[in-house]
Amino acid sequence: MSFWFNLVKDVFLRMLQLLSFSRRKISNSLSIYIKTNTGSTLSVELDPKWDIKNLKEIVAPQMGIAPEDIKIIFAGKELHNSIIIEECDLGQQSILHAVRTPHKIVNKTRNTDLIEESISETSDLNDSSGSKPMNETLMDLSLDESNLENLSLKEQQENRAHFYVYCSAPCKNVTAGKLRVKCARCGSGAVTVDRDPQCWPDVLQPRRITVNCESDFCPVTSSMHKDETESQVSYAHFYFKCAKHPSLGENDEAVPLYLVKPNLRNIPCLACTDIRETVLVFPCEAGHVTCLDCFREYCTVRLHERRFEFDEEYYTLPCPAGCPNSYIREVHHFHLLGVEQYERYQRFSTEEHVLRAGGILCPRPDCGMGIIPPSIEDDRECRRIQCIGGCGYVFCRICLQGYHVGECESQMSDASTSVFSSNYYSVDPLKANQATWDEASKKTIQTSTKPCPKCRTPTERDGGCMHMVCTRAGCGYHWCWVCQTEWTRDCMGNHWFG
Amino acid sequence: MAALPRRIIKETQRLMQEPVPGISAVPDDTNARYFHVIVTGPEDSPFEGGLFKLELFLPEDYPMSAPKVRFITKIYHPNIDRLGRICLDILKDKWSPALQIRTVLLSIQALLSAPNPDDPLANDVAELWKVNESEAIRNAKEWTRRYAMDN
Ligand SMILES: [Zn+2]
Ligand SMILES: [Zn+2]
Ligand SMILES: [Zn+2]
Ligand SMILES: [Zn+2]
Ligand SMILES: [Zn+2]
Ligand SMILES: [Zn+2]
Ligand SMILES: [Zn+2]
Ligand SMILES: [Zn+2]
Repeated sequence: MSFWFNLVKDVFLRMLQLLSFSRRKISNSLSIYIKTNTGSTLSVELDPKWDIKNLKEIVAPQMGIAPEDIKIIFAGKELHNSIIIEECDLGQQSILHAVRTPHKIVNKTRNTDLIEESISETSDLNDSSGSKPMNETLMDLSLDESNLENLSLKEQQENRAHFYVYCSAPCKNVTAGKLRVKCARCGSGAVTVDRDPQCWPDVLQPRRITVNCESDFCPVTSSMHKDETESQVSYAHFYFKCAKHPSLGENDEAVPLYLVKPNLRNIPCLACTDIRETVLVFPCEAGHVTCLDCFREYCTVRLHERRFEFDEEYYTLPCPAGCPNSYIREVHHFHLLGVEQYERYQRFSTEEHVLRAGGILCPRPDCGMGIIPPSIEDDRECRRIQCIGGCGYVFCRICLQGYHVGECESQMSDASTSVFSSNYYSVDPLKANQATWDEASKKTIQTSTKPCPKCRTPTERDGGCMHMVCTRAGCGYHWCWVCQTEWTRDCMGNHWFG
Repeated sequence: MAALPRRIIKETQRLMQEPVPGISAVPDDTNARYFHVIVTGPEDSPFEGGLFKLELFLPEDYPMSAPKVRFITKIYHPNIDRLGRICLDILKDKWSPALQIRTVLLSIQALLSAPNPDDPLANDVAELWKVNESEAIRNAKEWTRRYAMDN
């Protein structure tokens, strides 16, 4: 009996929806996709002025269920019926998730008392479930957990999270970003987060926030075992989308530039002292701030002088005030410099990495490709190096001239031996067997020059001062003749002049 | 010519309104990035009583790069070479855009009060300062009288 009643009710509702749907005039349409938990995708045109209830009415007939049996999930939140679509920060071609509720609840609930409760709850119009979208609730994220603040309501309003991302394609620019979330286990976006992220580690590090995954294909939900074990928990995987272009699908992600923030506290720029709307906050304890223009200039000047530094494997810069532990570790921030300078940054970075790994740079002018040759101990006869991935130039490792058979040509070549591969030189038996006056000339070179500790270019000691500056174009490393490490204040105090 | 950055305007205003005691810094009439600086020799230093002229120039990429400062008046000091160049870490590797013209001038004044022969630029001066400080101080006083007092 109730079956027939439900069927009739269903048909009636669907007709009603179709009627109301056709009556609506779409003023400013937003075309989005709706993914259902059964795996199908619907394409829908929406009016941004509609609310979630309207949306459910449109989707219901296509899913073959009643609108009140549908949950709409977006960016980690189940959206409440009264939410207006334009409040949700949906872009064109965004994906919403529509999930059948009663079915899911029966399947997912681990407690029998709760089953009845939820069923009875979903049988009335279910207006109490759901919440505001993430963009409405999310606060500006602090850099770490230590300084989570208690903010007043007004401050919370002003403190809405703003994200900046680097959109590698198609925008190729720094743009506004949107935070999105999916199930770390199955990759489905049909998840609701158990809490909002509060700090960047919540977003960037895995396994910090749990989610309720609604996908039928998720190993957690489809599992028959309902024990709450570690393996049964799903975690949030947060990612970002560019807000400037229509979504290009689920894999269209952008890199968050988490040091770029709206300047809510009106802090003047460290360099120009202007108070700007958007700033870059360095990860130092003081949280020094520069405006984006000054950041660009700071980086460009340092890049020009090749004064970026290594912080572990990152080729980067510290806070311009010289604070300890202030290196930028998300090097995508250097995209702020623009395409041309970023390319230069990448080139320098690659070169410096190669040199640091004991490699050499292709000697051909305008190439400079970094090459890591096989260790000479492994293959001592092999002096033939090809610039693979660069210009293709084939050259002699020893003299850096075009590749040749037999001994390298000139006396000069011996000098350049130590220039570019002094580390191989000393263990090269070919060289060790050379004429004695070569030995002697090597000694003179050794005593008047020492290799730059950074790039191994021999630098001649000039004017009695122990403060050396590497002469290799693009290195310019300041080092100490005595210590053969970076030039420091201690060197200056202890043995500047020997 | 590019507009003068607001930071330079602000710093100049502040230097005019609240000058650093014992130091005057006035921008050039034709070039707002070029400052004529006069530092009075600090009391109880061999430079006492002297007026030392310096030039200070804010490069194009200031405050990313340090100001360029040079003594114009001859001075006998281990950290200042024959061309008036100053050996001061904040003018080189320790420069930070958080520092200002004011900080630089104060540091130079401090350098006159406390020469550091272990951190020398003028090698021979530093040498003498180390082995025979009283003679070095006598020289410094003599140079101050000769070059920094008659104007
Ligand atoms: Zn984009
Ligand atoms: Zn899942
Ligand atoms: Zn600035
Ligand atoms: Zn700092
Ligand atoms: Zn090449
Ligand atoms: Zn060769
Ligand atoms: Zn070098
Ligand atoms: Zn040293």
